[in-house]
Amino acid sequence: MGIRADEVPFVGAYDASHLSHFNYHDEAPMWWGFWGIIMIETTVFAALIASYYYLNLSYPEIPPAGVKKPDLLMGTISSLVLLSSSYSMHKADSASEKGDVKTLKWGLLVCIALAALFLILKVFEYSKVEYRWDSHAYGSIVWGIVIFHSAHVTSLVLKTIFIAYLSWRGYFNKDRHLGVTINGIYWHFVVIVWIPLYLVIYWSPRLF
Amino acid sequence: MEKAERETIKAPSDNRYYSAAEVEDVAELDRTWASPTGIVGWFQVVNHSNIGRRYVITAFVFFLLAGVLGLMMRTQLMQPEMKLLHPDLYNQIFTMHGITMMFLFAVPVMEGLAVYIVPLMLGTRDMAFPRLNAFGYYVYLLGGITLYVALLFGIAPDAGWFNYPPLASSEFSPGMRVDIYAMLITFIEIAALVAAVELVVTIFKQRAPGMSLNRMPLYVWSILVTAFMIIFAMPVVMVASMFLAFDRNVGTHFFEALSPAGQGPLLWQHLFWFFGHPEVYIIFIPALGIISSIVTTFARRPVYGYTALVLSIVATGFLGFALWVHHMYTTGLPQLGLSFFTAASAMIAIPSGVQIFCWIATLWGGRPQFKTPLLYVLGFFFIFVLGGLTGVMIASVPFDAQVHDTYFIVAHFHYVLIGGAVFPLFGGLYYWFPKFAGRMLSETAGKWSFALMFIGFNVSFFPMHNLGLMGMPRRVYTYIEGLGWNDLNLMATVGAYVLGVGVLISLINVIYSAINGRESGPNPWDSDTLEWACASPPANYNFSPMPAVDSLHPMWDMKERGVRPAVTGVRTDMRQVLTTTLMDARPHALSNLARPSIAPLLLTGAVGLGFIGFLFSINWLILSFFLAFFAIVYWNYPRYDERTPPWKKEGENGN
Amino acid sequence: MRKWRQTQIKLSAILTVAAVVAFFTSCADTRFQSVLNPKSTQAAEIALLWWVMLGVFTVVLLAVTLLVAAAVLRRYDGRRGELSDRQKRNMVLIGGVIIPVVVIFAFVIYSVSVGRYTASVPHDAPITIEVVGHQWWWDIRYRVSGRDLNVRSANEIHVPVGVRVKFVLESRDVIHSFWIPNLQGKTDLIPGRKNFTWVTATEPGIFRGQCAEFCGLQHAKMAFIVVASPEAEFYAWLERQIQPARQPVTEAQVRGREVFETTSCTLCHTIRGTQALAEVAPDLTHVGSRQTLAAGSLPNTRGHLAGWLANPQQIKPGSRMPNLYLRNDELDALIEYLSSLE
Repeated sequence: MGIRADEVPFVGAYDASHLSHFNYHDEAPMWWGFWGIIMIETTVFAALIASYYYLNLSYPEIPPAGVKKPDLLMGTISSLVLLSSSYSMHKADSASEKGDVKTLKWGLLVCIALAALFLILKVFEYSKVEYRWDSHAYGSIVWGIVIFHSAHVTSLVLKTIFIAYLSWRGYFNKDRHLGVTINGIYWHFVVIVWIPLYLVIYWSPRLF
Repeated sequence: MEKAERETIKAPSDNRYYSAAEVEDVAELDRTWASPTGIVGWFQVVNHSNIGRRYVITAFVFFLLAGVLGLMMRTQLMQPEMKLLHPDLYNQIFTMHGITMMFLFAVPVMEGLAVYIVPLMLGTRDMAFPRLNAFGYYVYLLGGITLYVALLFGIAPDAGWFNYPPLASSEFSPGMRVDIYAMLITFIEIAALVAAVELVVTIFKQRAPGMSLNRMPLYVWSILVTAFMIIFAMPVVMVASMFLAFDRNVGTHFFEALSPAGQGPLLWQHLFWFFGHPEVYIIFIPALGIISSIVTTFARRPVYGYTALVLSIVATGFLGFALWVHHMYTTGLPQLGLSFFTAASAMIAIPSGVQIFCWIATLWGGRPQFKTPLLYVLGFFFIFVLGGLTGVMIASVPFDAQVHDTYFIVAHFHYVLIGGAVFPLFGGLYYWFPKFAGRMLSETAGKWSFALMFIGFNVSFFPMHNLGLMGMPRRVYTYIEGLGWNDLNLMATVGAYVLGVGVLISLINVIYSAINGRESGPNPWDSDTLEWACASPPANYNFSPMPAVDSLHPMWDMKERGVRPAVTGVRTDMRQVLTTTLMDARPHALSNLARPSIAPLLLTGAVGLGFIGFLFSINWLILSFFLAFFAIVYWNYPRYDERTPPWKKEGENGN
Repeated sequence: MRKWRQTQIKLSAILTVAAVVAFFTSCADTRFQSVLNPKSTQAAEIALLWWVMLGVFTVVLLAVTLLVAAAVLRRYDGRRGELSDRQKRNMVLIGGVIIPVVVIFAFVIYSVSVGRYTASVPHDAPITIEVVGHQWWWDIRYRVSGRDLNVRSANEIHVPVGVRVKFVLESRDVIHSFWIPNLQGKTDLIPGRKNFTWVTATEPGIFRGQCAEFCGLQHAKMAFIVVASPEAEFYAWLERQIQPARQPVTEAQVRGREVFETTSCTLCHTIRGTQALAEVAPDLTHVGSRQTLAAGSLPNTRGHLAGWLANPQQIKPGSRMPNLYLRNDELDALIEYLSSLE
């Protein structure tokens, strides 16, 4: 007692003036923030997959009798398109770390094109499916998963358009590329999370 | 061990002590961190202390509203066959009571308190994403107001806070009520989630240098565990409520009993309780942190068993996810599986036991000071242990079959939630109020409030155990004469009003003392953690200079040494904070935080338009998706000074 | 300060003792809707489990409360009164780990063994009663040795004493929960699923059960009566129930039947032996023999029947039973007829 906290003198313990405020990876709160979002989304997708199997428990087979199995060929082609976009995103991202702005610019455009192609293939594929979300519980959950994931791909496209716009304006450089990195992490997440979803939708009807 | 590590702090190179003004330009800090003023300015504020204060005040307003709803229910149940409330209104009221207490009071108040306290405890100047913080608050506020507007118009949700389909389906609950539930629960959980992410990142990255994980205050640990639980629990209820909204509005069949095995209705229960049970711990675990702070301060001893407490808090967090099925014992699931959940539920007693006995051991240390915060904690011991023990009882499948969905359960969860969360929270309110307001609360009023709350609570809720055993189901708007329930119900109602008076005294105490209370100074309780190092109420920048620590009890160290370690070289002309490494909290980088902005409000508008518009048409949801994109672009659009070439800035750096 | 402490300790002591006394006085319970007055083998097992848990946990609660009181109220004389770290560690280990582990272990084993018994529904039970939940009433059918007796009743269940009775539980609309506190814990009625429970009554008596899962507007008034009677009496009753409705005798009864058959009653109700065969509302074939009206919310007297028929929406707002707007003479005749259906 007796000492007022605001009157106690200081002793310099750390000098922060030499530290950079261009942060990479785990130095940046934003990087961690995106991992937080990814954890949230992973939980959402896990809940969707759990619901898929729980609802299908009540049918003797997946999909219920009389419903055609999902089109494996179309599903696989579009999945490969999406997967390949992850490669070009990786290229763009590592180019930006090296300060290679040109590869970054064009890489991002390739990513956007591939994701858009994926969306078009999805629309094409599901416009031919004979059941809808209101046909039966199986239809509800399959459409639910596909629409929810496609909404993610759409948001990726929108976000990446913004990032690409900034990179064409010359905003990113060797030091300042956290935005690209984080966008890349999220991009990879949306691509990777499609793999279990693809297996669930296209392969579990064939395996069970 | 502590001693050896202390020496790792470098002695000042020039053996000189500084006053704050010599380290940093305080006037410039003031300008940099100032919050905008005026009405438009109010919506641009992003500082964590402002947002935290708004959260806490708003949550208490909802607490009072839900309390009034509770008193209305108790009045209706005072006597058999009362005609005070029409069953239709009664059902809305009990549903809103539950929704408000769980979604609009308990979680937001715990997160809001953390938003206020955690950055102070960590010794930083703001949270990692200040604008996200503001966004979360607006979402919460808009969601809460919409729910109460619905109640005013008589279209509030009325299928219970756990809202089981098929009762909640469009067939049995036509109209807008359950849609309001489904959309607004999802919407409000957005607020809970962004605050959780923000708290995790702030705790991970912005601890004062030297605050390694094993020097982190227990309150911060409890918030960290809570935030992770929110991240893994809340998305599930969002999925469930969106499914329900689609079932009701676009004809999906997620929760319908179409299939021969009737999976649909049970899917809701699984999803809901996978969130719903952790929810209880999300409310309770922050209270563990509050209690630890209060016990340490008023026993004047370091808390005993720090490591054991941390482990038990983490264990509680994990176990919380393995219990959800104990809400579904009566649904006819296989017995063998249920036995697992009996064991898992009862196991919670072990970490809880460790916590209780660690605190008892701490209290056994010094001479406890019987200030109001400690009284609330002592009240917690009795109420929470009782509630915990009835909790073990209902982990038993056969016994639960008798008391499930009766007043026994009502008694149990009020014991756990009011005892486990509200009492510690009131303790925390009395404890931290000097920090919020710079003034002390009245001790006399505090003790009266505590005594009335404690007595009123027990008089109100203890008889409910008996009522449940005597066959009274919960959620009944009335009961018939001749069942022997009359006296106990009357007693419960009287107790509820006493409890209400107790709360009212605290409310008056807060309002009165905020204006007339004795000035508190920065550290009125002689506490040990960093939030007491800054002024009360804290300046917008919290600390000048930013502190460093080398033990669990920086304030007690400061008292002992008469000097405190500080961080120098953080820029004062921009909202800059130090980020440190995850485990050891070594300085790592500087992070420039966002300035005040209207963007969070715009994004709230965009997202809110989708969720509230969905009540009328799904097109609003799609429109809001794109509007939200533009709001996010506006939010993140680089500002001019950040676009200046980096080499220029490097040149300016350092002072 | 000291005075405050004393008041506090006295208060908590009084409260704890009062709490325990309050519980134990419930022992002498003669209520007909109570867990603590078990009248079946199943409910008796659960009640015993409850008393054992209550005893053990009261000791735990008292011990913790006393320890807290001792910790904060003990005389403080410098560091000497303080426990050593070793003592503290032992306290946390014993109180926080060892005792809970032992108690929980015993508890889980005991609880699971009780649960195995109460949930072991015998699928060869001589009597099966099918219960279908509706908003807000109970539809009851009987099967004896697997044979459907075509006996349908509502909101009143008869069971023989000393015989295992199996219940098959279903719902046509929302989730309900079937609960007879004196006889057995609850089991949910979930649309799309079949659940089972069982009861072996040990004493004759009349008990009350109530829906325990919130099921909408009139959840509070969705109760039923269970009559446990000696086996012979039960079968005699069943015999009477198999008969179609008794024919009207008096002129008023004949008039009453006419009213019943010519108004909207027949849209929902059945009276076997008349033209009324709809199944969406309670079967009224033997309504006069039942003890309650409106799903256990009114005693079945002429006065209450009159009140119910005259204005059901007043007694049970939102009930599926509409106001009939009968003339007084029609109402009188209808009451005369319905009360005669024993």
